Amino acid sequence: MKKLYIVAILMVAAAIALLTTAADDMSTYATFVQAARSGDRVKIAGQLSKDKEMYYNPAEDPNYFSFYIKDTDGEERKVVLLSEKPQDFELSEQIVLTGQMKGEEFVATDMLMKCPSKYKDEEVYIKNEGK
Amino acid sequence: MQDIQYVGEHLLPGQVGQAAIVASFVASLFAAVSYFFATQRRDADEYEAWRGMGRWGFLVHGLSVFTIIGIMFYLMVNQYYEYQYVQAHVSEDLPFKYIFSAFWEGQEGSFLLWMFWHVILGLVLMATGKQWEAPTLSVLSLIQLFIGSMILGIYVGFGDEPSRLGSNPLMLLREVMDAPIFAKADYAAQLTGSGLNPLLQNYWMTIHPPTLFLGFASTSIPFAYAIAGLWTRDHKGWLQPALRWALFSGAILGTGILMGGAWAYEALSFGGYWAWDPVENMSLVPWLILVAGIHTNLIARSTGHSVRSTYIYYLLTFIFIVYSTFLTRSGVLGDTSVHAFTEMGLEVQLVAFILFFLGLSGVLLGVRFKGIPSPQKEEATASKEFWMFIGTLVLLFSALIITASTSLPVYNKVMQFFNPAFEGKVITDPEPHYNKYQLWIAVFIGLLSGIAQYLRYREANFQKYASRFGLHAGIAVAATAVLTYITTLWIEANAWQYLVLLFFGLFTIVTNLDYLVTFLRGNLKLAGSAFSHVGFGLMVVGILASGLNKRIISNNPFVMDGLIEGATSEELRRNILLFKDSPLIMPPYEVTYVADTVDTFTRTFTVNYKRRDQEGKVVEEFNLHPNVLYDKSFTKIAASNPSTKRYWNRDIFTHIASLPQVEIDLEYRRQREDSLNYRVLNAPIGQPITMLDTAALKEVDTSVVKTYDITVERINRTPTHPDYEPEEGDIAIGATIKVSRQDKEGIFTANPVLVLRGQLLYSYPEQINELNAKVRLNEGIFDAVFSPEMDLDYQAYTFRQGDKAEYNGYQIQFAGFNREPKHPNYKPQEGDVAVSAMVSVQAPDGESYLAQPVYLIRGNRPFNIKDEIPGPGLHFRFTGIDPNTETVELQIARSAKATESVPIELATNSLRSDYIVLEAIEFPGINLFWLGSSLMMIGMAVSLGRRMGRGGKV
Repeated sequence: MKKLYIVAILMVAAAIALLTTAADDMSTYATFVQAARSGDRVKIAGQLSKDKEMYYNPAEDPNYFSFYIKDTDGEERKVVLLSEKPQDFELSEQIVLTGQMKGEEFVATDMLMKCPSKYKDEEVYIKNEGK
Repeated sequence: MQDIQYVGEHLLPGQVGQAAIVASFVASLFAAVSYFFATQRRDADEYEAWRGMGRWGFLVHGLSVFTIIGIMFYLMVNQYYEYQYVQAHVSEDLPFKYIFSAFWEGQEGSFLLWMFWHVILGLVLMATGKQWEAPTLSVLSLIQLFIGSMILGIYVGFGDEPSRLGSNPLMLLREVMDAPIFAKADYAAQLTGSGLNPLLQNYWMTIHPPTLFLGFASTSIPFAYAIAGLWTRDHKGWLQPALRWALFSGAILGTGILMGGAWAYEALSFGGYWAWDPVENMSLVPWLILVAGIHTNLIARSTGHSVRSTYIYYLLTFIFIVYSTFLTRSGVLGDTSVHAFTEMGLEVQLVAFILFFLGLSGVLLGVRFKGIPSPQKEEATASKEFWMFIGTLVLLFSALIITASTSLPVYNKVMQFFNPAFEGKVITDPEPHYNKYQLWIAVFIGLLSGIAQYLRYREANFQKYASRFGLHAGIAVAATAVLTYITTLWIEANAWQYLVLLFFGLFTIVTNLDYLVTFLRGNLKLAGSAFSHVGFGLMVVGILASGLNKRIISNNPFVMDGLIEGATSEELRRNILLFKDSPLIMPPYEVTYVADTVDTFTRTFTVNYKRRDQEGKVVEEFNLHPNVLYDKSFTKIAASNPSTKRYWNRDIFTHIASLPQVEIDLEYRRQREDSLNYRVLNAPIGQPITMLDTAALKEVDTSVVKTYDITVERINRTPTHPDYEPEEGDIAIGATIKVSRQDKEGIFTANPVLVLRGQLLYSYPEQINELNAKVRLNEGIFDAVFSPEMDLDYQAYTFRQGDKAEYNGYQIQFAGFNREPKHPNYKPQEGDVAVSAMVSVQAPDGESYLAQPVYLIRGNRPFNIKDEIPGPGLHFRFTGIDPNTETVELQIARSAKATESVPIELATNSLRSDYIVLEAIEFPGINLFWLGSSLMMIGMAVSLGRRMGRGGKV
């Protein structure tokens, strides 16, 4: 089995090498301040500011949707998503964006939304309300 | 609330179901224990008795599971919303065909689906397992015990906060939540269901979960055999039945995973078939390990090597299935996955599930490891088994690094447990991250699955064989090089890594085809492995073609630079705006949004694609029909379904990314209509008027005055409008209005309509897109056009046919009857007796007119419908017929004044809304992916078929 051991050792070595390079692909959730400082492509998690303007006018540009979120430090910035406005956007509880700071704006190319789940929905659906 | 006597609840089925849940749990424990002792005493006389008890236990368990499922379907079909699960997954308007989808949409339903398959597979094992029946069913019953605990829903522990074991699918709504409605005794009749998520109302949701769960369930069988082999120390005997089950499982699980990809690609708007989502990854990982196990199992059967690794792989396969269940169902993935379940309080149970079977496997393997036979002599370097084994290590390696990356959220949770300040890590861009590593895995698999086919098991004398091997390998490399070159003419491999992958993908196709022809001499029965490996190669080429050469057709050429600063990648501009009937060039197509139709909640769009040659002649034309599904209130879009044109060598994928807000939300549309700033204009008929409009400019702090010229050309008493469907009794007015703006070329015509139906006014405005203007009629137009009936002074005349009379200088003649009267306000009904009088009118100026008032008897009552000659303002009523004298009575009146001007309204802030936001992507060679991946599964099925044929029953 000697040869196989050699192969196995080589693979473990490769795995360690890969894991070290993989660290570059990973990051912690950044804040706007950190994103502005580093200028890197980062992920930001935040809450949608529902009172601020959400702007999507496809007639002007179907790939421009802007809104405001508060990051984990409570810092609020404008976000530009280079895509259409997703359905149920207003309902989202938490938003994870991938992108980078451009000046005062965070330009995102990817977005994940977490919407309230049905399981947590405490509302009972009642027929013909007021009956 | 305890004191309320509820009425209208259906408690009996729930109670039977609760009993069945407990029975299935207890019976699985009983079966596991009985089969355990049957295995322990397999050589003793008691064996038969223990086995009999095990069988009874398992049968009772199976019957209970079927009962639970049957009761749940009964409750769902009858829509007993007092049950929480029914309320959460069914609704009145859910089509019956989706009742299965609704059943397995929830966690509990999918656990039951999994258990259902285990029962079916267990029954097969019971019938065919022979000496393996007792140990394998003991293991399977134990697995059922753990899954069954997930739906038990009983409270264990003491004190104020007992912990709940499992989530019971038969709970009543009032038991799981507290709401004011439960204060009413008859609340059950007032509930309504929330129904199935519209995204899941799709035939894929009907076929994908049962296939995937059969795949999951079937991995338990090789696992059970592996445990049985270790347990009974029969390290050789289990290999053959386990291999069959593993092939079955590999084919089914693989198909299930592929169906998920096909669903994502075909029906959801993900724009691809694989996105390295954690849920996808964690179904792929067990499959990879299972495939590794199949290979070592083959080695073990042929050479006696690798029995230990076969054990390890099959054990790991199942453990990773459970781990995958944990990841997707515990809520730990949180915001890293699009489609994981949320927390349900099952985390501890799921961890226990993993730890128990991990512990069982580890301990048993550790105890028996030394005793597992293994040939003293090492595999020869030039033997098939050596390189196959390396291949399985590559597969395991692949599975482990995917698991490592996917488990990052678990790592974060663990670290945070020890150090609350620990900041969780995330993978910034998952797709490139996974692709980067898996690319090399695929290269190795391509190389090994190619080379190993030429090698022989237990190679003792490679020297003799070397020249043949060299010849085939050499020709294969040369042929692959040529093929690679040819392929690059078609698809672009824009980095050397991709070129390497392309080469090895093609290499395994070439070598395996060669193997099929020259080694197997075309014997298709033996061709399973060749099929699978050719399939793998085709799949790799398909991934390269469709992934690397995927082209967004809907690139927006009009994007304003600077607005999207830094978005250099064309990729980012995926959407394009398409105005109705205005073709847009998206090379090589000319795309036009032609039409849309609404059918209940679905709105289907017709998008026309044309390709022209250099002379501009249309050489190809097709229509695609993407649709959107509105929610019940028409205030949002619940799902957007793509439509794809399929060619043999590429796909054109099209989906509606967005719509104007007024088309999405009916509520918003009303608000928007109300917010329009209409100006009322009194417009003389036939003469232009001018309107000045001051528009504020957003960017600079100033405004600009725009001048509109408006002419009401004519009034139409029988108007048409695209949205107006005439009904009897309607009083409708339309106007043809020409509008122009002085800074804009062109005169635009609008035909708004106003309808009075009963007491209600219906306005049908018309949009002039070129001017962002909207025109409608003011309700004052009725007064201007129709004189109030009460102001009219009718005079009665009696006519015989042909009689003439004079009225205010007009010559009136009754020309005769029309027994099939046509009148804009008259719709014939069954039983009507209707006739109109043809009245010809000669004006003093020589002009002549015809009026046709209607007289009708409906249900024994006489009615008359008046007719009017608008110009001179003459009104006619046909009020009676005397059959004896053959005379008719006509009433004639003249309105005081002719209509000179009418009030109309114009809004200049009405944005156009006749467009769609479209995403269109071309996927070249995607059929190679589907063909190749399907061929992999077919290969496994062929291998299974051959092994079934040779060895008799499983």
